[in-house]
Amino acid sequence: MAPIIVLNNLFWQYEGQEDFALREICLKIEESSFTSIIGPNEAGKTTLVSCIRGLIPRSYHGILRGSIEVLGKNIADKTELELAKEIGFVFADPEAQFTAMTVLEELAFGMENIGFSLNEIKERLEWVTEMTNIQDLLDKSPFEISGGQKQRITIASMLALKPKIFILDEPTSMLDPLGKDQIINILTTLKEQEAMTLIVVEHNIEQIAPLSDQIVLMADGKVLKSDSPQDFFCDIEPLERLGIAVPHITSFASNLLDLGLYEPPLPLTIEQAIGPCRLILEQRGRE
Amino acid sequence: MTEREVLIEASNLHYVYPDGTLALRAIDLQIRTGEFIAFVGQNGSGKTTLAKCLTALFKPSLGTVTIEGLNTSMRGVTKNIALKVGYVFQNPDHQIFNDTVRKEIAYGPKNIGLPEKEVAERVEEAAAVAGIGEHLYTTHPFFLPKGLRQRVAIASILAMRPHTIFVDEPTTGQDNLQSLEVMNFLKELWEEGHTIVIITHEMPIVAMYAERVIVMGVGQILLDGSTRDIFSQPEILAQTYVKPPQITRFAQELSSYGIPRDVLSVPEMLEAFMRARPKGMAINS
Repeated sequence: MAPIIVLNNLFWQYEGQEDFALREICLKIEESSFTSIIGPNEAGKTTLVSCIRGLIPRSYHGILRGSIEVLGKNIADKTELELAKEIGFVFADPEAQFTAMTVLEELAFGMENIGFSLNEIKERLEWVTEMTNIQDLLDKSPFEISGGQKQRITIASMLALKPKIFILDEPTSMLDPLGKDQIINILTTLKEQEAMTLIVVEHNIEQIAPLSDQIVLMADGKVLKSDSPQDFFCDIEPLERLGIAVPHITSFASNLLDLGLYEPPLPLTIEQAIGPCRLILEQRGRE
Repeated sequence: MTEREVLIEASNLHYVYPDGTLALRAIDLQIRTGEFIAFVGQNGSGKTTLAKCLTALFKPSLGTVTIEGLNTSMRGVTKNIALKVGYVFQNPDHQIFNDTVRKEIAYGPKNIGLPEKEVAERVEEAAAVAGIGEHLYTTHPFFLPKGLRQRVAIASILAMRPHTIFVDEPTTGQDNLQSLEVMNFLKELWEEGHTIVIITHEMPIVAMYAERVIVMGVGQILLDGSTRDIFSQPEILAQTYVKPPQITRFAQELSSYGIPRDVLSVPEMLEAFMRARPKGMAINS
């Protein structure tokens, strides 16, 4: 399958800044895949996804080198309408995105802007309210509900446009555990049921790694590593040195693997680890 | 071990917000000197309200809170209480309002009328403890990165030399390294004798640092005990959407093999796992 996004030797420097915020970025993202972007704060993660969405260089001044291709076309040659239809984008702070008086209006706003028919709008509304479980919130003001509910509404308003590519920038960082779980559930459903290409910037590696087809590690404006989750965690020590919170279960199994007790692939969830570990404990493993 | 001295005590504490929401119901709680406590529970469970009552930012609607013997409902105790407890807001920007780092840290000591010389000493002491270099004294706090702004917020509390420090969500919005940095700093303060209370959703952080956990749900204390005891009760924790750390949950899945249910870290799990491994130890097959 051809990649849907290709970044080729991308450099970006914000106007007035001494250093490049992104350097030598080469990255391919396959169509319908789930990509997680992780790394410390200030690594360039938000800048990178802003480039993919075309917010850079359209809404920011600076120097761009290299190329960004989305759906086979350089984004410099795309119109804003094309980009808005193709790529959905959700920020960490949902309030940054609200404009309307009620949740229902908020959801309809984007679709009306693009010029969908009333029937089309109705159909899509039904689909997104169910997908994001916000049926009870439609009459409320987006400003009077909890942070987790707000984030689900922002996601719904973007999903309603059925973008081919959906980017979420730290969608769970401001939320409590219940709110985080609900966002992860939506991402899981999207991955299972839709052909969307999903790109998620996250610190919450434990929850996001099991969903990922590709994990991209950034630091200092560069892509340090990009791999399938199993290969990504095969050498844990350098990741931990960079301060990456490797999932406990993966770290545990990696230790067992070093002792010759565990066979690859490394687990990313408790469920994946439980079977092999029972076998080891029951001595029916390797001995 | 001898019982440590009680610093803060809540008795039948109720709190009702002006809009009528009953946020805390019949809380009885003692915080003793030298403890490192975590308040956990989903949003809306009453963690922050409780912390604000225990630091005299809120006064009880019913019941009492005493801080080192001072009843927070009495008039005229605020200045004394400010020397005993400090509260660092979740968002340091809700707290910082001066235009230089020095003024921000000096504000509290000045406000209680300390002489200039003592104020200057306290600023230096607090800034040094919080790792804020002198070259930053004249910087506007809002030009600092979030991690440093939080340190300024903590330094401004430290300048009051309180015995007990409450920090609301010290790691939210920070990456893993920054989180460990701020937590290690709180641990240093704890080792120097401060009593520390954090409010957090990050259970791995709780497992690494707290020795006691108070679990809140709908305005009440659901559980109160040592970190190990609390994480061994996943069913009650689930009522308030708190999940023990992943490695603890994994250990609990394997408890029928003799692995303890209160494992808190990967090294502990490895040790327990290797111990459970020899032949004849398996119970289920």
